Amino acid sequence: MSAATIHQVQVPQPKQHGKPGGIMRHLNFFTGLVSGVVLALVFGYVMSLQFPAGALTANFANAAAGPVFWAMMVGWVVGFMGGMGAFVGPIRWLLGRDLTHADAEFMAGKDQGKFRYWRFTTDHKVVGIQYLIVAMIILGFGGLLAMLIRTELGITWMEVFNPDFYNSLVGTHGIAMIIAMIVVVSGPVGNFIVPLMCGARDMAFPRLNALSIWLLVCAVPPLILSLLVGGIRDGWSVYQPLNAQAGPGMIGYQTTIIVFAVSTALASVNIMTTVLTMRAKGMTWSRTPILIYGAFAAAAMGLYAFPFYMYSQILSMTDRLVNTSFFNPIEGGSVWLYQNLFWLLGHPEVYVILIPSIAVMMEIIPVFMRKPLFSYYMAIAGIVGVVGLSGLVWAHHMYMTGWAPQANYPFMLSTEMISIPVGFLVLVVIGTMWRGAFWSRLPMMAVFAVIFNKMIGGVTGVYLSDVPADQYFHGNMFVTAHFHYMLMGAGLFGAMGGIAYYFPKMTGRYLDERTGSIGFWTAFAGFQITFMSMFVAGLQGQPRRVLQFDNMFDISNWISTIGAYVIGIGMLIFLAAIMSSWRSGQAAPSNPWQAQTLDWQTATPVPLENFPVLPVVTKLPYDYGVPDPLAPKKLEEQYDEKVGAPS
Amino acid sequence: MTSPVLSPTTGEPASVIFRRDRLGLIFLVVADFSGTMALIISYVYLWSLNVNNGWAPNQQTFGNNDLLKSRSPLPWAADWPFWAILALTLVATIVLWMGIRSMRSGHRGGLVAAAALSTIILIAAIALQWWQITTFPFGPGNGAYASAVFLLTASVLAHLLLAGFLVLAVTNRTRAGLISSDKPFQARLVGYWMVWVCVSILLGAIVTTFMKDSPNTTPANFGEFSLYNPDAPTPSPSASPSPAQ
Repeated sequence: MSAATIHQVQVPQPKQHGKPGGIMRHLNFFTGLVSGVVLALVFGYVMSLQFPAGALTANFANAAAGPVFWAMMVGWVVGFMGGMGAFVGPIRWLLGRDLTHADAEFMAGKDQGKFRYWRFTTDHKVVGIQYLIVAMIILGFGGLLAMLIRTELGITWMEVFNPDFYNSLVGTHGIAMIIAMIVVVSGPVGNFIVPLMCGARDMAFPRLNALSIWLLVCAVPPLILSLLVGGIRDGWSVYQPLNAQAGPGMIGYQTTIIVFAVSTALASVNIMTTVLTMRAKGMTWSRTPILIYGAFAAAAMGLYAFPFYMYSQILSMTDRLVNTSFFNPIEGGSVWLYQNLFWLLGHPEVYVILIPSIAVMMEIIPVFMRKPLFSYYMAIAGIVGVVGLSGLVWAHHMYMTGWAPQANYPFMLSTEMISIPVGFLVLVVIGTMWRGAFWSRLPMMAVFAVIFNKMIGGVTGVYLSDVPADQYFHGNMFVTAHFHYMLMGAGLFGAMGGIAYYFPKMTGRYLDERTGSIGFWTAFAGFQITFMSMFVAGLQGQPRRVLQFDNMFDISNWISTIGAYVIGIGMLIFLAAIMSSWRSGQAAPSNPWQAQTLDWQTATPVPLENFPVLPVVTKLPYDYGVPDPLAPKKLEEQYDEKVGAPS
Repeated sequence: MTSPVLSPTTGEPASVIFRRDRLGLIFLVVADFSGTMALIISYVYLWSLNVNNGWAPNQQTFGNNDLLKSRSPLPWAADWPFWAILALTLVATIVLWMGIRSMRSGHRGGLVAAAALSTIILIAAIALQWWQITTFPFGPGNGAYASAVFLLTASVLAHLLLAGFLVLAVTNRTRAGLISSDKPFQARLVGYWMVWVCVSILLGAIVTTFMKDSPNTTPANFGEFSLYNPDAPTPSPSASPSPAQ
């Protein structure tokens, strides 16, 4: 039996079948694309044979359209993932052909240059970059739809789009942005940074990591295609019975959600297992960076909540395709069931977006203020509190639906209670900034922007959690402005700060501070113009998701549309800064910010195995300037006494 | 003292990889549990509401159905395949664990035989599940009960197919010497998954057996909807069906 040397140890190897990588050498994004398209066409054709020409449903719709589109979606998913090589691992395992070290190195993209980004590559750094690019593409797509929506609403003297198409734009924009916001921090930071910060050589399950990113890629085309076959006309929540009455485009939405939920569950399992089992020696829970807590919390919420969303769409799909009656009241179903299943994910998802973003902020502030994180334990308590309460607030979205009116006030209480742990997090952020040595760079600017936006989003959220106030605000532009302040104002601007902060580690170059700042502040100004004006429209009573409205709302909408274009210009400038810096920016040293977490202690570009020797942690990574009186020194000392201080 | 078995890809001890894999499996089970609970909650929710008296229209899905009686020797006919499938899966799980125990005492052939037998039993369970789905005396659209039962059985089928794949792989890998007494970890992981499959089937069996007749005997009635036709005669009001029908 042959052997390979891994970290100076001779390790026996299984038989090498052919060249390292085997069939995976021939599979990549392009083979996935071709086989996905071919299989989609084949499945669609086979399904179309099941329906006689001209067959109609009871309401005179084309009977074949839905099932054929569904079959095409199944064909796309199976074909794309098969063409990428996602099924090779399980089949090899079944046949007993285990990977050798050389196979694993090939799978990790060793010596493959940029082409490794187009493959089923297992290296967590490649996956992190892939997540960043995919998230930016989805954000760009969703942002383009936002521009079209604002164009329609801003041109108040005529209709730009057909009302059905306008509704599709709103729904598709909503879900595209939700998906992008979920992955824009958790994806790149969770995959690129968290293993480095843990002091690990890779994620716990590298192949699962590749699977989760390519499932995300696979989930995007069905959403875009759905626009061509009727679209999603009912908002991103696609409530029943509108869901059931929609055209075949809804199947695209459902396919996207099902595939995305599987991707998220796998990513969550991976991040949680990595954090729990692969932290460096000495990295006790009282020495673990707060970003790791944030990533773990987001993964935990996604793990328990996403399956409910997935099943809400599976049940909707079977209602549509095989005539089950989960949501059809005539046959014993209930539309409230859909709303409950949907919001069981729908609200925790807000924190899946927010918590990683705030955790990144809490990593940035000590570095740029040269101060310890204020009250590390309060930050942990805040994160734990949010996770604990996130599953108990879903029905505040259903106050006005008539479902269980007796439950409104308990849910009002639980929703208002969640502002307590969120308040902890804000206090930690402000406390850390207090009297710090302020270093004015773009990541720190993002912190101020996020605090500003989050305060507005949080305060307006308290009104919406209040049952009497919600009777007025529900379903109007006030709600739209509120959640944009939370998700975009805190989530996206936090992500921009995170990108600026981690850019040198991810790319080996500084983000162009000047161009990036111009883009960032332009987007920030546009954001305030757009959504402050939208608050006004909401207070005046303008309903959301409505194409035509009274003239009294014209001015608010003109201002919002101008603001939206300003956001678009700002985002394009920021994107230009990213692209030019990535290509030809100033080279950055391995630790340009002089940060103390492990991710900055390794070389840049990060070697394939991250650390030549696995690191040992001896203290909290926020040891700047004056020590935090609340830092867990005593616990550290107790641990060192019990376990022995690392040499 | 024997040196520990090392992973050929990372060089870490196989026991370390096992602990990591076991935790990952637990998290996967948590996600799958959430999904199963989504189905169970849907079942219980619709059962408790009996919207429009449509939980089980005219009781056609239960024991007073002649077709169903003709296919089943038991009064709780619609449920027995669930329990039979659970029994088969339980036996397959026990057999697999017995094989793992025998391998621990050095009999690799014991695990090969046990995993092969477990695969055969699982194939029987899959066949029984398929038979149940294809011979229900109702379609998926015959009320909320029928819909919920169809989805629960589909979920069980998916779990069994995955379990069958995994146990078949254990058979093959043990035969090839990739699972042995010094590296039994993958067989144990599959054994844990089998335990969870049993629990998920049990959850379905419990609700379908003990939560059949809806407790809501005075449900809200929405009448009937039809496509709007201005030329159609005005329908005469019809009495809403009573729960006893």
